[in-house]
Amino acid sequence: MKNSINSIVSVAIAAIALTACNGGNNNAEESNAASTAVTQTEQQANSAETVAATPINGVVDDYLQLKNALAADNGQEAASAGNELMDALKELGASSLTPEQKQVYDEVQEDAIEHAEHIGMNADNIEHQREHFDIISQDMYDLVKAFDGVQKLYVDYCPMYNDNKGATWLSATEEISNPYLGSAMPTCGEVKEEIN
Amino acid sequence: MSSSKKILLALLLVFIAVQFIQPARNQSGQALATDITKVYTIPENVQVLFKMACYDCHSNNTNYPWYANLQPGRWWLERHIKAGKEELNFNEFGTYSARRQMSKLRSIENSIEDGTMPLTSYTLIHKDARLTNEEKATIIAWLNETQDSLTLQN
Repeated sequence: MKNSINSIVSVAIAAIALTACNGGNNNAEESNAASTAVTQTEQQANSAETVAATPINGVVDDYLQLKNALAADNGQEAASAGNELMDALKELGASSLTPEQKQVYDEVQEDAIEHAEHIGMNADNIEHQREHFDIISQDMYDLVKAFDGVQKLYVDYCPMYNDNKGATWLSATEEISNPYLGSAMPTCGEVKEEIN
Repeated sequence: MSSSKKILLALLLVFIAVQFIQPARNQSGQALATDITKVYTIPENVQVLFKMACYDCHSNNTNYPWYANLQPGRWWLERHIKAGKEELNFNEFGTYSARRQMSKLRSIENSIEDGTMPLTSYTLIHKDARLTNEEKATIIAWLNETQDSLTLQN
């Protein structure tokens, strides 16, 4: 009898403890979700305010998508981002540019479009996509420097890629997410410069 | 005549018929002012290697092998040459923008280092297009030298 009372009590305690824990967790999750929602709305509002949907921002968006796909070792997504980047680059060429912008665009476009196209054609060869990404990143750097109204970008540098010859890329976040080495060395690299 | 014999005969007739379809040859015979040798000073030994291992598909002058006279080998070949020239044409290197020339040098280096070029299907038949490690090193050394000097200029 004593034993069974003991066990009933301990079950009850356990049940209360579990409920309490669950309740606590739920609350925490809810408040997390709420704050995420707030941050997202804020970010959307911010980007809507500062970054207009101009052709150059279309180019930057597609480039960043490509960068993220390579950092995630996803050749398929990199390929579709590469194709979109190619289209966005052509659209940029058809838009109205200042003489200075036109000069930079003309210098860059033949090369950049070709690299974007090759990234699009090599969904099953991510190392080859990265070789092209290395060169197109230089084109992108020169291009965004010629435009106003581009979002804040970080110029990142990874000293290890390409047999320690090193390579740069552009990122929207200060945190390093390496598109050349991917999940093998996701945080290799450092911020070299901030644009805008 | 059995039906399988009829099919064989039909195939043979098609094979003979397609022999008469011969696309234009990739042989311009001209030395263009836009040739890569006019853009950079290239040592003789590197030029020879480029011509032997690359020019069949990456220039306006192909040295056609025996099977080029036989269809459908010819089509297969012309497709390769067309794609190769779109990618890189040593004879028209001078028409590329400065930036594209730079990245072409880089891409040549990458494909030779990776072993993706010359194509295995090509070197299988063209034994003289196979690059030894020493030959690869010679080409890559020239490519590096040229890229470095161009980077300094800019």
